[in-house]
Amino acid sequence: MVKNITIFTTNTCAYCAMVKKYLDVKNHKYDIVNLDEQPHRQAEALALSGAMTVPVTVVTKHDDTREVIVGYNLAKLAPAVA
Amino acid sequence: MSEEKKIVHDVIMIGAGPAALSAAIYTTREDIDTLLFERGVPGGLAAITDWVDNYPGFPEGLAGLDLANNLQKQAERFGAVIELGEVMKITDEGEFKKLETTSGDMYARAVLIATGSDYKKTGVPGEQEYYARGVHYCATCDGAFYRDKRLVVIGGGNSAVQESIFLTRFATHIDLLVRSTIKASDVLQKDLQKFVDNGKITVHLNTLTDEIVGEDNKVVKVVGTDKATGKNIDFPTDGVFVFVGLKPNSEFVKDLVDLDDIGLIKTDANLHTSVPGVFAAGDIRSGATLQIASAAGEGATAALKIREYLDAREHILE
Ligand SMILES: Cc1cc2nc3c(=O)[nH]c(=O)nc-3n(C[C@H](O)[C@H](O)[C@H](O)COP(=O)(O)OP(=O)(O)OC[C@H]3O[C@@H](n4cnc5c(N)ncnc54)[C@H](O)[C@@H]3O)c2cc1C
Repeated sequence: MVKNITIFTTNTCAYCAMVKKYLDVKNHKYDIVNLDEQPHRQAEALALSGAMTVPVTVVTKHDDTREVIVGYNLAKLAPAVA
Repeated sequence: MSEEKKIVHDVIMIGAGPAALSAAIYTTREDIDTLLFERGVPGGLAAITDWVDNYPGFPEGLAGLDLANNLQKQAERFGAVIELGEVMKITDEGEFKKLETTSGDMYARAVLIATGSDYKKTGVPGEQEYYARGVHYCATCDGAFYRDKRLVVIGGGNSAVQESIFLTRFATHIDLLVRSTIKASDVLQKDLQKFVDNGKITVHLNTLTDEIVGEDNKVVKVVGTDKATGKNIDFPTDGVFVFVGLKPNSEFVKDLVDLDDIGLIKTDANLHTSVPGVFAAGDIRSGATLQIASAAGEGATAALKIREYLDAREHILE
């Protein structure tokens, strides 16, 4: 079961919009960290994903385990929020 | 598989970029049952383009992502269905075309291939190793990680110039490494000159890229060669964006339709490929002019020609 979801995004990132659309369709709520508005949180995104790219989607489960999905990757995102 | 179990659509479009979405607006308005397959983002390359200044009807220009969303909405308003998945193979079974997809096998009376192109890689050492950790192909996705940093951009065409200009929002300085001369449009070259004049971008013509070098898991420099002197030059940098051209997404149909020397799909004036019932439009088509407006125009033409094809088949079947 999903406890919460955070997506690191930027204003211009099309793949971020796709992640949001997918989660909307599946009726998931999520928090957004917009790195254009909060550049000081870039290091956090990098530490979580190991990649200098967005979207980075962090899915925290009820047992507090975490799954980090880099990019728009339905093969990983779909099971993580199922 | 028995006939009854076949999922048959009037037309399946592969890709949901500007070409296919425009085609879908036309086919669905005429009640032609239309399914699109998209393995990435609906809107295609237009969706990941920061700003589009030359799409007719928008005098101030518009964000590529907004144009992509509008095209998608318009196609869906008339009943187009976009399936997020990939088409791996098409087989010509005469009246029906069989498509092997990530959602299973599908059948269509007509197929539109509008798969565009993906970014090419340079193939130099370090490129693969530092992918997404210092080497990037999408400025609108990854540019924000280079606020107040130095960048190298590799390439000399429209994309390289346009994306270098976009990246000046973040980077303190950009070295643009161009293998020969700049091939971008005159308008873009004029824009580029403004950034050269204010010192934000330095253009290095006739410069080969040899290696992307990292230290402690980070990109630190690009090593190039000045073709005139044959000397190596180091370009210290925090990251590299690569825009060295595009590779046609036609691998999956190379045994089905005729391709030209660079892998683009050959069509006749009706956008019909060498296989009856299989059409191609947009950037994937040999002779295409690689613009959103022309992709949209080709999509509209393809839709009308598909309708003619389907109508003619119906008469034959009757
Ligand atoms: C950086 C950049 C800036 C640009 N700026 C401009 C501009 O300002 N103005 C302008 O007019 N043009 C611009 N262009 C060009 C423009 O984006 C393209 O000409 C246009 O997007 C082509 O549309 P298309 O539908 O043919 O292909 P694409 O937009 O490439 O769409 C093809 C789609 O097919 C999908 N696909 C591929 N293979 C498969 C498969 N097997 N199964 C399922 N889906 C598949 C891809 O994921 C993609 O979404 C720019 C291009 C780039 C790269």
